[in-house]
Amino acid sequence: MPTNSKDHIFDEHLPLTPALFHVLLALADGEKHGYAILKEVTQRTNGKVKLSAGTLYGIIKRLDESGMISEIAARPEIGMDDERRRYYRLTELGRQVAMAEASRLEEMVEMARAKRLVRKPRLA
Amino acid sequence: MPDEKRSKSDRLFRLAMKALPSDFRGDYGNEMHRVFNDQRREASEKEGFAGLMAVWWETLTGLLKTGPREHWEILKQDCAYAARMMRKNLGFTLIAVLTLGLGIGANTAIFSVVNAVLLKPLPYPKGKQLVVVRQAATGQGVADIAFSVPEVNDYRTQNKTLAGLEEYHTMTFTLLGREEPLRVQTGVVSAGFFDLFGVKPILGRSFRPEDDQVGAPAVLLVSYEFWKNSLGGDPQIVGKTFRMNDRVHTVIGVLPPVPQYPNENDVYMPTSACPFRSSESMRDNRDSRMMNVFGRERDGVTSHQVNADLATIAGRLKQDYPKSYPAGDGYSASAFSLQNELTKQARPTLLVLLAAAGFVLLIACANVANLMLARMAQRERELAVRSALGAGQSRLLRQLLTESVIIALLGALLGLLCASGSLELLTGFASRFTPRAREIRIDYIVLLFALAAAMATSVVFGSLSAFFSRETVSSGLKEATGAASSSRGRHRVRSLLIISQVAFSFLLLAGAGLMLRSFVRLTKVSPGFVSQNVLAMDINANFAKYTKPEQYAGLAQRLLESVKTEPGVVSAAISSSFPFDPDSIIFGPQFGTFDIESRPLKDGEVQPITTFRSASPDYFRTLGIPMIKGRTFTNQDSREAPKVAIINQALAKHRWQNEDPIGHRVSVDNGKTWMAIIGVVGDTKEFGLDRPADDELFVALDQFPNVGSLIVRTMSDPMTLARDLRRRIYEVDADTAITNMETIEHARGATLTSPRLTANLMGVFAGLALVMAATGIGGIMALTVSQRMHEIGIRMALGARPSAVLTMVLRQGLVLGLAGIAIGVLATMGLTRLLQTLLFEISPTDPATLVSVTCVLIGAAIVSCVVPAWRAASIDPLVALRFE
Repeated sequence: MPTNSKDHIFDEHLPLTPALFHVLLALADGEKHGYAILKEVTQRTNGKVKLSAGTLYGIIKRLDESGMISEIAARPEIGMDDERRRYYRLTELGRQVAMAEASRLEEMVEMARAKRLVRKPRLA
Repeated sequence: MPDEKRSKSDRLFRLAMKALPSDFRGDYGNEMHRVFNDQRREASEKEGFAGLMAVWWETLTGLLKTGPREHWEILKQDCAYAARMMRKNLGFTLIAVLTLGLGIGANTAIFSVVNAVLLKPLPYPKGKQLVVVRQAATGQGVADIAFSVPEVNDYRTQNKTLAGLEEYHTMTFTLLGREEPLRVQTGVVSAGFFDLFGVKPILGRSFRPEDDQVGAPAVLLVSYEFWKNSLGGDPQIVGKTFRMNDRVHTVIGVLPPVPQYPNENDVYMPTSACPFRSSESMRDNRDSRMMNVFGRERDGVTSHQVNADLATIAGRLKQDYPKSYPAGDGYSASAFSLQNELTKQARPTLLVLLAAAGFVLLIACANVANLMLARMAQRERELAVRSALGAGQSRLLRQLLTESVIIALLGALLGLLCASGSLELLTGFASRFTPRAREIRIDYIVLLFALAAAMATSVVFGSLSAFFSRETVSSGLKEATGAASSSRGRHRVRSLLIISQVAFSFLLLAGAGLMLRSFVRLTKVSPGFVSQNVLAMDINANFAKYTKPEQYAGLAQRLLESVKTEPGVVSAAISSSFPFDPDSIIFGPQFGTFDIESRPLKDGEVQPITTFRSASPDYFRTLGIPMIKGRTFTNQDSREAPKVAIINQALAKHRWQNEDPIGHRVSVDNGKTWMAIIGVVGDTKEFGLDRPADDELFVALDQFPNVGSLIVRTMSDPMTLARDLRRRIYEVDADTAITNMETIEHARGATLTSPRLTANLMGVFAGLALVMAATGIGGIMALTVSQRMHEIGIRMALGARPSAVLTMVLRQGLVLGLAGIAIGVLATMGLTRLLQTLLFEISPTDPATLVSVTCVLIGAAIVSCVVPAWRAASIDPLVALRFE
C-alpha cells in the first residue's frame, strides 16, 4: 500500500467508524445543523444507518475535539437559517481524513474484487 | 424551546439526558432536544405511532451508549489531571495517602478478624442449626455441667426436635512407638459426630456406627494440623498404625482444617476406644459426668421448641432419678447456638477494637479534609482560571472528587498491605478468644470493605473540600475582599474538624488509658502464691500401665525422690494440676459436690460444691501458698492413715463463717469416706487473675493418687533445669509424656496475653489519633499565622510585643484543643461504659485516666502550636507589610 508522510497524519484517525464517516460525508458538501446531518445520513443510506439525537452529538463532540469539523460562528444566508441552531462544517483536516478513509475503503474493495468477492459494477 | 409548554415527552427526554455528563448536557443539551423534537414531529407525521416509538427507541439506546462513553472520557482526563496535580504536590499526596492508609489499614485489619469470627457463617453445612446442649444447676450457681453416658442416651432417644445428638470429651493419651512418647490431645466422640457437623475427611473415611461398638478394632481420625505438623502430611497415612493405651490404633482418615470446638485435638477416637468412657462404671453411672453434647436442630424447628423439648426431658429425669437431680439444684437442660458459643468471648473485644479503628479513620478523614482545605486556598487561582476557560462548576467539583477518590484508593491499597502484614499477629491475638481465628484472611469481603472505606472517606473529605471549592471557584478571580468570606468559612470548618479530631482522640486515649490501667492492675494482682522460680509441667503417664491407685502413688513417690536429688531443686510436689495450667484455663474450674459431717441438708437446700485437687506434702511449700491454720500434709498421711483434707480460706469462710473448720469432717463420695480438715491455706487465683478465688479442697496425694502435674521450685532460672528434669522423669518411666512444661511465671503471663494485646492495639490506635490531632492543630495554626502575617505585622508595628503575639497564637490553638477535650469528656462519659466488660477493677469514668488524657492532649496542643506561635512572634513588621 503506497504511503507518504502526509498519510501518517491521518492514519491516527483511521479507520473511522461508519457513523463518523457518514457525518463527515454529510458535511462534505457544505455546513449543516445537526438535524440536517441526521436526515441526510438517513436518506443517503436509505435508512440503513440511523443516527439519533442520543448518538449524533457524541460523534459531533469527538469530531470537533479532534479538529475534523468546527462549529461556524457566522450563519449561512440571513433568513435562510434557523438562528437558534448550531451549524457545523468540515475542516481541512476533516476533509483529508474523509478522503483517506474513502481511499482505504476503496483499497479494501479492490482487494475483495481481486478475490472475486465483489461483482463487477454494472454499466449504466 | 423555553416558550413552548413542556410536554411529558420533553420531561422524559430531559430525564433520559441525565445519563450524559452535565458538561455535555450544557454544551449540546438544547441542540439535542431540538433535533429530537424535529425527528419526533417528522416520524409522527409520516409513520404515525410506530415511527414515533422507533424514534424514542433509537434516541434512548443512543443516550445509553453515549452516556457511559462520555463519562469514561471525562474520568480518563480527570485521572490524568489528578495524577499530574498529585505529582506536583508530592508532599501533600504522600501525607494524605499515608494518613488514610493507616486509618483504612487499622479498620481493614480489625474487620478481617470481625468478618472471619463474627460475620461469616460457620464453615459447616447449615451451621446455624448446630447447637451445644448444656445441663445447668442454677441452684448451685453452675451453668455448665458435663453429661454422663446415661444422660446422653436419654436425651438422644427422647428428644423430638434434634436431628442428631452426639457426645464429645477430650483426653490426653500417650502415643508410643515414636522417638519420645508423644502426648496427643484426643477428642473422644460418638460415631455420628462428624456427620452431625457435615465434616468430611480429606483422606480416608469418617467413623461408622460399627467403629463405636464395644470390642471394635481401635481406629483414629487425625486432625489436619496434627497430620501436617507431626505426621509430615504423609499422603499414605490412612491404614498406618500407632500404639496407644496398649492397643493398636489404625488411622482411617484425615480431617479438613475446620475450627475445633471446644478445644483443638490432635486425633479423634470413637467412644468405644476410650478406656475411661467404655468402662462399665462410666457407662452405667448417671453421676459420672464428663461429656459435652452437640446437636443439630431439625429443619423448621425453632430454638424455642428445642429448649421446650429439652426442658420436658429434664423434668422427666428429675422425676425418675431424684437422687441424681436433687430438688434444690434447679436442674435444667438447654441448647445454645454453636456459632454464638464459638464467638461470644471474642465479641466485646472485637467490637470495641472495630469502633476504635473507626474513630481512627474518622480522625484520618478530618486530617485529610483539613489538608485538602488548606490546599484549596493555594489552588484558588488554578480553579478560577479553569473556570474562566469554560470548565463548569460541576466539572470542577467532579475533578476535585476524582482526586479525593484516587487518594482514598491509594490509601486503601496501602491499608490492605498494612492489614495483610498484620494478619499473623491478629490471628495469634484472636486465637486467644476463639477457635475461628484460623479462618481470618483477606478475602473478597475484606477487599470490598477496604474499597467501601475508601469510598466513604473520599466522600467525607472530598465533599467537604469540594463544597468549599464552590466558593473558591466563584471568588478566586475576585478581589481579596471577596475571597475573604470564603476563607472565613473554610477557617470555621477547619476549626470544627480540629475540634472533632481532638474529641475523638480524647475518646481513644481514654479507652486506651482505661485498658492500660486495667491491664496494669491485673499484672499487680497477687495470685496468692510465689510464682517466681517455679517450673511446672503436665505428666501424662501411660494409662495402660497404671491400673491401680497404689501404682500411681508409687510413681509419684519415685518421681519426687528422683527430682528432689537434682542439684538446684529447692522443693518439688505432685498434684492433679498446676495453677495457670493452660489446659485447666480452657475448661475452667471443675466443681463437684461434697457433704459436711453432721450438717444434713435441709429441704430445698443446695449441696455445697468445691473444686478438688490431690497434692503431695510439699505442694504448698513449693508454690509458696501460706498456711493460715493447722498443718500441711505429711508422709504420715498415707493410704492406711485416717483420711485428711486441707481447705482454702474462701471455702472456710463460705461454709464455716467464723467457726474453726479444723477437725470437721467432709466427704466427696456421699458419706462413704470422711476426711478430717487438718489445715486452712491462703486463696489462690489460678484460673485467671481477673476472677475471684474459687472454693478449693485439697486431698492428700497418697490417699487419692492422681499424677497430673509436677511442680518444682528452683534456686535460679527454672528453665535451665528443664532438660535434666525431663531426663529424670524418663528414667523413672520412659512411657511418660511431658507437656505444657513452662515456668508458672510464664503461664501467668500467658493468661494476660489477651488483655495485653487489646491494651496494646488500643494504645496504637490512640497514638495514631494523638499524632493526627496534634499535626492537625499545628497545621491549622501554621496556616492561620501565614494568612495573618500582614495583620500580625501591623500589630507589631503598632507596638505589640512578640510575647503577646506568641500568647495569642498559643491561646487560639488551646481554645480549639480545649473545646475538643470538653466534647471528648462528655462522649467518654457516655461511651466508655461499653468497655465495662473488658475492664478489671477500674471504673469506665476513672477520674485519674480522664485527667491524664486531658493533660496529654493539652500538652500535645501546646507542643504543636509552639512552632507556628514562635514563627508569628518573630515576624519582622517591615517584611510582613512589604510582603503584602
